[in-house]
Amino acid sequence: MTLRLLRTGVARGAFNMGLDEAVLGSVAEGRQPPTLRFYGWNPPTVSLGYFQGLDDEVDREACRAAGVDVVRRITGGGAVFHDDELTYSVVIPERHPLARADIMESYRFLCSGLVDGLARLGLRAAFAPLNDILVDGRKVSGNAQTRRKGCILQHGTVLLSVDPERMFSLLKVPSEKLKGKLIQDIKDRVRGLDQLLGRPIGFDEAADALVAGFAAALGVELSLAEPTPTELSEAERHAEERYANEAWTSKR
Amino acid sequence: MTVQRVFKSPGTKLLRLTVDLEAGVVRSLSMRGDFFAHPEEGFDRVEASLAGVPVGAFEATFRSALEREGVSLYGLDPADVARLIEEAAHDA
Repeated sequence: MTLRLLRTGVARGAFNMGLDEAVLGSVAEGRQPPTLRFYGWNPPTVSLGYFQGLDDEVDREACRAAGVDVVRRITGGGAVFHDDELTYSVVIPERHPLARADIMESYRFLCSGLVDGLARLGLRAAFAPLNDILVDGRKVSGNAQTRRKGCILQHGTVLLSVDPERMFSLLKVPSEKLKGKLIQDIKDRVRGLDQLLGRPIGFDEAADALVAGFAAALGVELSLAEPTPTELSEAERHAEERYANEAWTSKR
Repeated sequence: MTVQRVFKSPGTKLLRLTVDLEAGVVRSLSMRGDFFAHPEEGFDRVEASLAGVPVGAFEATFRSALEREGVSLYGLDPADVARLIEEAAHDA
């Protein structure tokens, strides 16, 4: 069994989300095989879960001042500050042998690619339902899944490093008084790979490990390709019509 | 009367609820948070359909609307939402 592998590098948030949706469209229509994609973010971007309130979660003024984009995802889950991280997405038809009908099993199975990839870096990672991956009890990865057009789309992040102070300068906090506690909470509960490994780790090294991890854990061959011209133009269209559109970003 | 509630239990994601209540009826409501619902747009329609529902009928109406739209929820329990709304109506 072969999955298409895309390594699309860093791009702006609206394009990244647009390309995930474009790939979902091309896999759903049978124009492309099931696809695993790795990507990063520039400029840094806050992504919001589908059901989150923009003003509940994000300090837009602070984001604007810091040059940080804000996008709403088509997947549920929580707000993520995407900066020094590796992001992946996987798109599989629901009828495909790699698809699992049960949501939890589906997360567990697709996250096994991350767990295997992290093991290749020397880290003993574990899936923590519903949608996290932990190393030594600390979160290194959050994941979110949707089902559309007869396909599963799961995307998620692996933190290469984490900066809780910066994160909470961009996300809303209930009060300044609580800010210190929230920052400490993230320091206690969340880890970047750099902290776990005791050395800096680059995007490509982490991506190489995860590529191998997904191939082994899912039992598939990965065939490196480029997004098609149609996918790229669809991605731009989704970016303009949806992800860079204020009406979508502020819909909740 | 507009009421805001924030709710989180060990088995659920965070829920931010804003509900507009008038004479025992839900005039409008907004459920926001890091929960999951598939399909997402179906949940939007369910939420919109709950305007005008009496507080006492809220949970049953919510559940049947989810079923009608074929929406599955993860990290959000209709019973919690109904209880928050009943408490808000009681406090009013």
